[in-house]
Amino acid sequence: MIETWVEWTLIFSLAVHIVLTGVCVWRVWRGQNVIDRLIGADLVGTLALAVLVLIALIERTSIYFDVALGLAALGFMASIVLAKYLADQRVL
Amino acid sequence: MGSVLTFFLLAGVYLALSGSLVTSNLIAAALIALGIMLLLRMGQRPERIQTLPRVLWTLLRYLGMLLADMVSSGVQVARIVLDPKLPIQPAILKIPCEEQSDLISALSAHAITLTPGELVVAIDEQGGMYTHCLDMSLSVAQRVELLRHHRAMLKTILGETNETREAP
Amino acid sequence: METLFGLIVILAVLIGTAFSVIGVIGFIRLPDVYTRLHATGKVSVFGVVLLLLAGLFWTPVSPGKDIVLIGLLLLAAPVASHAIASAAYRLGIPPQQLMRNDLAEVVEKENDPTPQG
Repeated sequence: MIETWVEWTLIFSLAVHIVLTGVCVWRVWRGQNVIDRLIGADLVGTLALAVLVLIALIERTSIYFDVALGLAALGFMASIVLAKYLADQRVL
Repeated sequence: MGSVLTFFLLAGVYLALSGSLVTSNLIAAALIALGIMLLLRMGQRPERIQTLPRVLWTLLRYLGMLLADMVSSGVQVARIVLDPKLPIQPAILKIPCEEQSDLISALSAHAITLTPGELVVAIDEQGGMYTHCLDMSLSVAQRVELLRHHRAMLKTILGETNETREAP
Repeated sequence: METLFGLIVILAVLIGTAFSVIGVIGFIRLPDVYTRLHATGKVSVFGVVLLLLAGLFWTPVSPGKDIVLIGLLLLAAPVASHAIASAAYRLGIPPQQLMRNDLAEVVEKENDPTPQG
């Protein structure tokens, strides 16, 4: 009984997050300046993480959590390196 | 943070990620934690056993404080965003506070960014911070007091760090 | 017990979804880069952390990875927004509606024409 309710809640949340990701991708495409687009990309990463967590909860496997961990670590580094590259025109 | 606490932190993260508590896995965790500590030269100072309970208690209080800050800042920014008038008074303020250690400056910048409506934009050479804040409800003196409090807790947790800023 | 956990999961997922939506709304509504970073770096991350907390109560997702992921997010999100804010200021993107700016004179002093290093 409660399981169907949880499942519907998770599917609803998944749909909302996918729509939000679409909105953010649109903002990245039509951003005001380059940092605005970078923030949008960072937010897309966070929302993709949420989508992976929700899929893991719906499918009830923890294999998507491994993907989520990799995405979190790589997305964090990508944001920092891109920000540094945009500001200094070099990475190191 | 001395060697014992660092060791248990690293081994704990490995065990949490691998997710099994078999004996061979425990040995692997210990070996990996030791290897990382040797490679990265972490936790060279030995732990002082007398201060360990106080360090652990301060660590717990610090983590609890970060969690409470995160919840309250999330709620505060959400209220600002949902208000139809968008009541923001942004400002970039300087928080003057002396600090020698790089590590403590960086960690306290992290803590300040988690407090409601603050975002650290830059740190100067003396350890003072420039924060972008959404409203000017707190005065600069209160912010300095908050920063001192954070840094005192961090110093208790990490011990007296003697690494200093490199000359540019 | 199953029912209680199910209710906790439903509540956490709904609140987390609400925070994600508010984060994206803030990203669109707020006027400039620095204020937008407040919305994305705090509200959205709080939403994801609530979803992960829901995962702690929903078997058989491994709790260890969940907790490590929460710690990683809490550690990484402020650092990323700090890096982006600093890059924005160094690129010279102006903050809007500013009441007071203590950083302006410092940056002007650093940008004098004498070459460095």
